[in-house]
Amino acid sequence: MTKQQARFEPYDFNGGTCVAIAGADYCVVAADTRMSTGYNILTRDYSKIYKLADKCMMASSGFQADVRALQKVLGAKHLIYQHQHNKQMSCPAMARLLSNTLYYKRFFPYYTFNVLAGFDEEGKGCVYTYDAVGSYEKVGYSAQGSGAKLIMPVLDNQLKSPSPLLLPAQDAVTPLSESEAIDVVKDVFASATERDIYTGDKLEIVILNVDGIRREYAELRKD
Amino acid sequence: MSIFEYNGSAIVAMVGKNCFAIASDRRLGVNLQTVATDFQRIFKIHDKLFVGLSGLGSDAQTLYQRLVFRHKLYQLREERDMKPETFASLVSAILYEKRFGPYFCQPVIAGLGNDDKPFICTMDFIGAKELAKDFVVAGSASESLYGACEALFKPDMEPDELSEVVSQALLASVDRDCLSGWGGHIYIVTPDEVREKILKGRMD
Repeated sequence: MTKQQARFEPYDFNGGTCVAIAGADYCVVAADTRMSTGYNILTRDYSKIYKLADKCMMASSGFQADVRALQKVLGAKHLIYQHQHNKQMSCPAMARLLSNTLYYKRFFPYYTFNVLAGFDEEGKGCVYTYDAVGSYEKVGYSAQGSGAKLIMPVLDNQLKSPSPLLLPAQDAVTPLSESEAIDVVKDVFASATERDIYTGDKLEIVILNVDGIRREYAELRKD
Repeated sequence: MSIFEYNGSAIVAMVGKNCFAIASDRRLGVNLQTVATDFQRIFKIHDKLFVGLSGLGSDAQTLYQRLVFRHKLYQLREERDMKPETFASLVSAILYEKRFGPYFCQPVIAGLGNDDKPFICTMDFIGAKELAKDFVVAGSASESLYGACEALFKPDMEPDELSEVVSQALLASVDRDCLSGWGGHIYIVTPDEVREKILKGRMD
């Protein structure tokens, strides 16, 4: 028998699911508010959605300590950007910044799965989806986190926009109205909560449109 | 890589009003390489009883042969067809017989029982039964199927609506799974007829 010793485990997995949908003149970002580790729930009221700029929100699941570190880094970089350029960073610029920030730690990654949502230069809704090391893509809708596999086929089916699976890639904002998109988000989270133990408690929905940013909450199953 | 995902599969069964539907994908692959696009995973035991076998293709066919054999012996002895509940117990027993050298299949059983009450059931590869009231799923696309069915299912659907819901759920799910797809095969079973449909789907 070889000698065993205690080892430092730098990662945990706190679960959670994030969804973002882009419309012609709005954006919906949603995430559940449960934070878990293993079979335990750490808290039922933890926001996974972070405001990076006036027209740019990020929702992140995975390891929440890394998420907080990432949010802090992006916040600091955005503050420097504001001082140098005297304006808010655009969403496509923030998207590239997030990608570079993630890839900078390619060999000791932030264990985070992000979706970024906001408006592009033309004022259309846009969603960017990422892996943990910064590979990213502009899409019309996306889901990330523990419930993503349950939610993604439903979004493909219900959003009626060209699926990101279609090639060549098409401009994929959903033709749904803002309120219809919010209803779809509520439905897919209710479904994911039925089968995913890491998703539940409460749903936080952030809506970006011409009027600004609006927050809504919906109850989810707590078991 | 799991042996259950060696060939790739997607199976779903759903209950409606005095009817049920059972559907599967048609792909047979070896890991990522597609070998056949007309593979059958759903088998008829009798007019009102179907079994879908997800997992390893060769074990699915072997298991099917044993199930048909046992059902024929039952018919000869009892001079009647097996009830779905009985058949589920038979499948479970056959799987558990091989507890330490198992068939790498997760079966889905769907049938109409006495007074045409729909029955659906799934079990793990060593025969632990799970009876469900609404829908059951199996295969490498099972997680996608859970999400799709959970969102699309509603109780007491008529056969036509049930057929549409199951088809949409299956096709949406297999498009997000690399190992299953290439169209679908669906049976809608009512007390007086069996409707069979071949679904076209994405070919990647």
